Amino acid sequence: MNTDSQLVALAQRGDQDAFAELVRRHSDRVFRLALSILGRGFTAEAEDVAQEVFLKVHHALASFRGEAEFGSWIYRITFNQAVNLKSRARYQRPHLDDTALAHAVTPEPGPHSIAETAQRDQFLAECILTLPEVYQSALRLYYWLGASISEVATLLEVPENTAKSYLHRARQLLASMMKQKGYSHD
Amino acid sequence: MTDPIRDSASGQSPRDAEIDLMLRQSMTAPIPGLSPNFHQALQRKLRQSSHAPNKFSRIMLAGYATTSVATSVLVMRSQCLGWATIAAATLAPMALLALTRRLRSPQSGFAIR
Repeated sequence: MNTDSQLVALAQRGDQDAFAELVRRHSDRVFRLALSILGRGFTAEAEDVAQEVFLKVHHALASFRGEAEFGSWIYRITFNQAVNLKSRARYQRPHLDDTALAHAVTPEPGPHSIAETAQRDQFLAECILTLPEVYQSALRLYYWLGASISEVATLLEVPENTAKSYLHRARQLLASMMKQKGYSHD
Repeated sequence: MTDPIRDSASGQSPRDAEIDLMLRQSMTAPIPGLSPNFHQALQRKLRQSSHAPNKFSRIMLAGYATTSVATSVLVMRSQCLGWATIAAATLAPMALLALTRRLRSPQSGFAIR
């Protein structure tokens, strides 16, 4: 089994199978990172980002000197590409899909409870959209996409402690926003 | 991928734990995956992009080719060569170029199994 560095070296010499293997290894993570930045309801856009990333990587592979890990390089490109896309006007609106939540997990809620939960979740989703990009991404990776702390750290290219602190800080900010709106018990 | 609950930081404050629970409840939704034709679409785009020179290169190349063909024709005519010879001398390198590109093209494809 070749390492990423070996595959990169082969791909730089024109071995297209090596490049294909790099795509196969990283496509899922690139897609999930893009999705964590764009949010729910932007699956097609996240896939477009993933494609753009691999096209860029293919064009820039010759200039990749291997000073950083291939993974870090590709995740950085993904992060920038997704953030650029998001900064365009049509992605700035709060997307309702983020609030279209699975209420099936709530044990037999009554109609009032459903409405209340939906309202609370919608506000929570709106609050999330006001957080810095890295916090939003960390939250979606961890809570929605099921990434572990170490995966969050890898994808965001930070140490694990920093990933933990992103999540902690994000929760703190959300808690204070929710409290202001009266959604907290304390 | 792991269960987020397993990674949950211990010793959370009640407020942190409350928002943690809220997030877990609100973010339970199916996780989308890459579409099955992602790799084929990428392969297609890569093939297109590796074959297509950018606009600037195309203009430069066309300008160079036109100038060099015109100059060659003028020089050959000034040497009193016949039009048949001039046409052969001009078209032969072009045919060679087209043949080389055709032979090289299968190398630029890639396939993901």
